Amino acid sequence: MQTRRSVSMALAAFVMAVLPAAAHHGWSGNSPEEFELTGTVEQPVSLAGPHATMKIRAQGQLWDLTLAPPPRTQAAGLTEKAIPVGAEVKIHGHRNSDPKRFEVKTERVTWNGKTFNVYPDRD
Amino acid sequence: MLPFLAWLETSMLGHAMRSSGVWTYGVVNLFHILGVSTLFGAVVVLDLRLLGLWRTVPLPSIAGPTVPVATAGFIVAALTGAGLLATKATEYAGNPFLLIKFPAIAVALVNVAVVTSRPAWKQMERPDPTPGDRRVLAIGGAVSLAAWLTAIGAGRMIGYW
Repeated sequence: MQTRRSVSMALAAFVMAVLPAAAHHGWSGNSPEEFELTGTVEQPVSLAGPHATMKIRAQGQLWDLTLAPPPRTQAAGLTEKAIPVGAEVKIHGHRNSDPKRFEVKTERVTWNGKTFNVYPDRD
Repeated sequence: MLPFLAWLETSMLGHAMRSSGVWTYGVVNLFHILGVSTLFGAVVVLDLRLLGLWRTVPLPSIAGPTVPVATAGFIVAALTGAGLLATKATEYAGNPFLLIKFPAIAVALVNVAVVTSRPAWKQMERPDPTPGDRRVLAIGGAVSLAAWLTAIGAGRMIGYW
Protein backbone atom coordinates (compact mmCIF):
# COMPACT_ATOMS: atom_id res chain seq x y z
CA MET A 1 0.00 0.00 0.00
CA GLN A 2 2.79 2.36 0.96
CA THR A 3 4.54 1.55 -2.29
CA ARG A 4 1.38 2.24 -4.23
CA ARG A 5 0.92 5.62 -2.55
CA SER A 6 4.52 6.71 -3.14
CA VAL A 7 4.34 5.69 -6.79
CA SER A 8 1.15 7.66 -7.41
CA MET A 9 2.59 10.68 -5.58
CA ALA A 10 5.71 10.54 -7.73
CA LEU A 11 3.56 10.42 -10.88
CA ALA A 12 1.43 13.36 -9.67
CA ALA A 13 4.55 15.41 -8.90
CA PHE A 14 5.91 14.68 -12.39
CA VAL A 15 2.69 15.77 -14.09
CA MET A 16 2.56 18.98 -12.07
CA ALA A 17 6.19 19.75 -12.86
CA VAL A 18 5.60 19.37 -16.59
CA LEU A 19 2.30 21.22 -17.02
CA PRO A 20 3.45 24.84 -16.41
CA ALA A 21 6.40 24.34 -18.75
CA ALA A 22 4.03 23.22 -21.50
CA ALA A 23 2.55 26.74 -21.41
CA HIS A 24 5.65 27.86 -23.32
CA HIS A 25 4.39 26.04 -26.35
CA GLY A 26 4.25 28.20 -29.46
CA TRP A 27 4.55 31.94 -29.15
CA SER A 28 4.93 32.73 -25.47
CA GLY A 29 8.74 32.83 -25.72
CA ASN A 30 8.31 35.78 -28.07
CA SER A 31 7.17 39.34 -27.52
CA PRO A 32 3.43 39.91 -28.07
CA GLU A 33 4.25 43.10 -30.01
CA GLU A 34 4.14 42.97 -33.79
CA PHE A 35 7.69 43.34 -35.13
CA GLU A 36 8.90 44.34 -38.59
CA LEU A 37 12.38 44.32 -40.02
CA THR A 38 13.97 44.95 -43.42
CA GLY A 39 17.22 43.25 -44.31
CA THR A 40 19.10 41.18 -46.85
CA VAL A 41 18.98 37.41 -47.10
CA GLU A 42 22.21 35.88 -45.82
CA GLN A 43 21.12 32.24 -45.68
CA PRO A 44 18.20 31.09 -47.85
CA VAL A 45 15.15 29.22 -46.57
CA SER A 46 15.85 25.80 -45.09
CA LEU A 47 12.89 23.42 -45.01
CA ALA A 48 14.48 21.17 -42.36
CA GLY A 49 12.43 20.38 -39.26
CA PRO A 50 11.12 21.10 -36.75
CA HIS A 51 10.71 24.64 -38.11
CA ALA A 52 11.82 26.10 -41.42
CA THR A 53 14.44 28.83 -40.98
CA MET A 54 16.33 31.55 -42.82
CA LYS A 55 18.85 34.23 -41.84
CA ILE A 56 18.84 37.91 -42.77
CA ARG A 57 21.23 40.76 -42.03
CA ALA A 58 19.57 43.90 -40.69
CA GLN A 59 20.65 46.79 -38.44
CA GLY A 60 24.19 45.38 -38.46
CA GLN A 61 23.06 42.08 -36.96
CA LEU A 62 22.48 38.56 -38.25
CA TRP A 63 18.88 37.58 -37.48
CA ASP A 64 17.56 34.06 -37.17
CA LEU A 65 14.09 33.80 -38.66
CA THR A 66 12.01 30.92 -37.37
CA LEU A 67 9.29 30.14 -39.90
CA ALA A 68 6.38 27.67 -39.77
CA PRO A 69 6.93 23.89 -39.78
CA PRO A 70 8.36 22.73 -43.15
CA PRO A 71 5.15 21.50 -44.84
CA ARG A 72 3.30 24.69 -43.96
CA THR A 73 6.16 26.93 -45.07
CA GLN A 74 6.37 25.09 -48.38
CA ALA A 75 2.60 25.37 -48.83
CA ALA A 76 2.95 29.15 -48.51
CA GLY A 77 5.33 29.04 -51.48
CA LEU A 78 8.40 29.79 -49.39
CA THR A 79 10.83 27.16 -50.62
CA GLU A 80 14.65 27.00 -50.72
CA LYS A 81 14.73 28.70 -54.12
CA ALA A 82 11.91 31.23 -53.60
CA ILE A 83 14.18 34.12 -52.53
CA PRO A 84 17.83 34.48 -53.61
CA VAL A 85 20.69 35.28 -51.23
CA GLY A 86 21.33 39.02 -51.07
CA ALA A 87 17.72 39.96 -51.83
CA GLU A 88 16.14 42.66 -49.69
CA VAL A 89 13.17 41.35 -47.75
CA LYS A 90 10.71 42.75 -45.26
CA ILE A 91 9.60 40.43 -42.51
CA HIS A 92 6.76 40.56 -40.00
CA GLY A 93 6.50 38.55 -36.81
CA HIS A 94 7.36 38.47 -33.13
CA ARG A 95 10.80 39.03 -31.74
CA ASN A 96 12.30 36.74 -29.11
CA SER A 97 11.48 38.09 -25.64
CA ASP A 98 15.18 37.97 -24.79
CA PRO A 99 16.56 41.28 -26.18
CA LYS A 100 20.04 39.75 -26.47
CA ARG A 101 18.77 37.20 -28.97
CA PHE A 102 18.28 38.30 -32.56
CA GLU A 103 15.56 35.81 -33.41
CA VAL A 104 12.14 36.48 -34.90
CA LYS A 105 9.30 33.99 -35.07
CA THR A 106 8.24 35.08 -38.52
CA GLU A 107 4.71 35.13 -39.90
CA ARG A 108 5.26 36.86 -43.24
CA VAL A 109 8.16 37.48 -45.60
CA THR A 110 7.77 40.04 -48.39
CA TRP A 111 10.13 40.21 -51.34
CA ASN A 112 9.81 41.85 -54.72
CA GLY A 113 6.15 42.72 -54.14
CA LYS A 114 5.29 39.17 -53.20
CA THR A 115 4.25 38.15 -49.68
CA PHE A 116 4.82 34.65 -48.35
CA ASN A 117 2.37 34.24 -45.49
CA VAL A 118 3.34 31.14 -43.49
CA TYR A 119 0.82 31.89 -40.70
CA PRO A 120 -2.23 33.24 -42.60
CA ASP A 121 -4.43 32.87 -39.50
CA ARG A 122 -2.27 35.30 -37.46
CA ASP A 123 -2.05 39.12 -37.56
CA MET B 1 29.85 18.93 -26.47
CA LEU B 2 29.80 21.38 -29.37
CA PRO B 3 32.39 19.50 -31.50
CA PHE B 4 30.33 16.32 -31.23
CA LEU B 5 27.12 18.16 -32.14
CA ALA B 6 28.85 19.84 -35.10
CA TRP B 7 30.11 16.45 -36.29
CA LEU B 8 26.62 14.96 -35.93
CA GLU B 9 25.01 17.84 -37.84
CA THR B 10 27.43 17.52 -40.77
CA SER B 11 27.15 13.71 -40.80
CA MET B 12 25.30 11.84 -43.53
CA LEU B 13 22.43 11.33 -41.13
CA GLY B 14 22.06 15.08 -40.52
CA HIS B 15 22.28 15.79 -44.23
CA ALA B 16 19.68 13.14 -45.06
CA MET B 17 17.31 14.48 -42.41
CA ARG B 18 17.52 18.00 -43.84
CA SER B 19 17.24 17.17 -47.49
CA SER B 20 14.72 14.36 -47.81
CA GLY B 21 11.41 16.20 -47.95
CA VAL B 22 9.33 18.48 -45.75
CA TRP B 23 7.55 15.61 -43.93
CA THR B 24 10.71 13.71 -42.92
CA TYR B 25 11.18 15.36 -39.55
CA GLY B 26 7.53 14.91 -38.60
CA VAL B 27 7.47 11.23 -39.57
CA VAL B 28 10.77 10.49 -37.78
CA ASN B 29 9.36 12.34 -34.77
CA LEU B 30 6.26 10.11 -34.93
CA PHE B 31 8.41 6.99 -34.76
CA HIS B 32 10.43 8.51 -31.91
CA ILE B 33 7.22 8.93 -29.92
CA LEU B 34 6.08 5.40 -30.80
CA GLY B 35 9.45 4.07 -29.65
CA VAL B 36 9.36 6.03 -26.38
CA SER B 37 5.77 5.04 -25.62
CA THR B 38 6.49 1.38 -26.36
CA LEU B 39 9.56 1.51 -24.12
CA PHE B 40 7.86 3.28 -21.24
CA GLY B 41 4.58 1.39 -21.50
CA ALA B 42 6.47 -1.87 -20.98
CA VAL B 43 8.95 -0.51 -18.44
CA VAL B 44 6.29 1.00 -16.16
CA VAL B 45 4.53 -2.36 -15.82
CA LEU B 46 7.77 -4.17 -15.00
CA ASP B 47 8.95 -1.46 -12.59
CA LEU B 48 5.67 -1.43 -10.68
CA ARG B 49 5.88 -5.23 -10.35
CA LEU B 50 9.45 -4.89 -9.05
CA LEU B 51 8.18 -2.26 -6.58
CA GLY B 52 5.72 -4.77 -5.19
CA LEU B 53 2.47 -4.41 -7.09
CA TRP B 54 0.71 -7.52 -8.48
CA ARG B 55 2.75 -9.94 -6.37
CA THR B 56 0.30 -12.72 -7.23
CA VAL B 57 1.59 -12.62 -10.82
CA PRO B 58 4.96 -14.42 -11.01
CA LEU B 59 7.80 -12.06 -12.00
CA PRO B 60 8.85 -14.19 -15.03
CA SER B 61 5.31 -13.84 -16.42
CA ILE B 62 5.73 -10.05 -16.43
CA ALA B 63 9.45 -9.82 -17.26
CA GLY B 64 8.98 -12.24 -20.17
CA PRO B 65 6.88 -9.94 -22.37
CA THR B 66 7.94 -6.51 -21.02
CA VAL B 67 11.72 -6.83 -21.42
CA PRO B 68 11.75 -7.53 -25.20
CA VAL B 69 9.01 -4.95 -25.85
CA ALA B 70 10.92 -2.30 -23.88
CA THR B 71 14.16 -3.21 -25.68
CA ALA B 72 12.51 -2.88 -29.09
CA GLY B 73 11.00 0.46 -28.10
CA PHE B 74 14.37 1.72 -26.89
CA ILE B 75 16.10 0.77 -30.16
CA VAL B 76 13.45 2.56 -32.26
CA ALA B 77 13.60 5.62 -29.98
CA ALA B 78 17.41 5.76 -30.03
CA LEU B 79 17.72 5.45 -33.82
CA THR B 80 15.03 8.02 -34.59
CA GLY B 81 16.31 10.28 -31.79
CA ALA B 82 19.74 10.37 -33.41
CA GLY B 83 18.07 11.59 -36.61
CA LEU B 84 16.05 14.29 -34.86
CA LEU B 85 19.12 15.57 -33.01
CA ALA B 86 21.33 15.45 -36.12
CA THR B 87 18.93 17.67 -38.10
CA LYS B 88 20.09 20.85 -36.33
CA ALA B 89 22.41 19.41 -33.68
CA THR B 90 24.40 22.58 -32.97
CA GLU B 91 21.22 24.47 -32.07
CA TYR B 92 20.86 22.23 -29.02
CA ALA B 93 24.26 23.18 -27.59
CA GLY B 94 23.61 24.63 -24.15
CA ASN B 95 20.05 23.30 -23.99
CA PRO B 96 19.73 22.36 -20.29
CA PHE B 97 17.12 19.68 -20.94
CA LEU B 98 19.55 17.78 -23.18
CA LEU B 99 22.01 17.79 -20.29
CA ILE B 100 19.35 16.24 -18.05
CA LYS B 101 18.00 13.78 -20.61
CA PHE B 102 21.16 11.96 -21.67
CA PRO B 103 22.60 11.41 -18.18
CA ALA B 104 19.14 10.14 -17.14
CA ILE B 105 19.20 7.63 -20.03
CA ALA B 106 22.72 6.60 -18.97
CA VAL B 107 21.51 6.02 -15.40
CA ALA B 108 18.56 3.97 -16.68
CA LEU B 109 20.81 1.77 -18.85
CA VAL B 110 23.40 1.26 -16.08
CA ASN B 111 20.49 0.34 -13.80
CA VAL B 112 19.38 -2.33 -16.32
CA ALA B 113 22.89 -3.78 -16.35
CA VAL B 114 23.15 -3.76 -12.55
CA VAL B 115 19.71 -5.22 -11.82
CA THR B 116 19.87 -7.96 -14.44
CA SER B 117 23.30 -9.08 -13.15
CA ARG B 118 22.05 -9.56 -9.58
CA PRO B 119 21.05 -13.01 -8.23
CA ALA B 120 17.65 -11.56 -7.28
CA TRP B 121 16.91 -11.08 -11.01
CA LYS B 122 18.75 -14.12 -12.35
CA GLN B 123 16.89 -16.43 -9.97
CA MET B 124 13.49 -14.83 -10.42
CA GLU B 125 11.93 -18.26 -11.05
CA ARG B 126 12.26 -19.09 -7.32
CA PRO B 127 8.82 -19.28 -5.70
CA ASP B 128 9.79 -17.45 -2.50
CA PRO B 129 12.30 -14.62 -2.95
CA THR B 130 14.03 -13.41 0.23
CA PRO B 131 13.24 -9.95 1.63
CA GLY B 132 16.75 -8.93 0.53
CA ASP B 133 16.05 -9.98 -3.06
CA ARG B 134 12.77 -8.12 -3.02
CA ARG B 135 14.52 -5.01 -1.81
CA VAL B 136 17.15 -5.22 -4.56
CA LEU B 137 14.44 -5.57 -7.22
CA ALA B 138 12.33 -2.78 -5.69
CA ILE B 139 15.28 -0.37 -5.69
CA GLY B 140 15.98 -1.30 -9.32
CA GLY B 141 12.34 -0.63 -10.23
CA ALA B 142 12.34 2.72 -8.43
CA VAL B 143 15.59 3.89 -10.06
CA SER B 144 14.29 2.78 -13.46
CA LEU B 145 10.98 4.61 -13.07
CA ALA B 146 12.69 7.80 -11.85
CA ALA B 147 15.35 7.70 -14.58
CA TRP B 148 12.96 7.07 -17.47
CA LEU B 149 10.46 9.67 -16.26
CA THR B 150 13.30 12.19 -15.98
CA ALA B 151 14.59 11.31 -19.46
CA ILE B 152 11.13 11.56 -21.04
CA GLY B 153 10.19 14.72 -19.14
CA ALA B 154 13.43 16.48 -20.07
CA GLY B 155 13.20 15.18 -23.64
CA ARG B 156 9.72 16.62 -24.06
CA MET B 157 10.97 20.00 -22.82
CA ILE B 158 13.96 20.28 -25.22
CA GLY B 159 11.83 21.97 -27.87
CA TYR B 160 10.40 24.50 -25.46
CA TRP B 161 13.73 25.99 -24.42
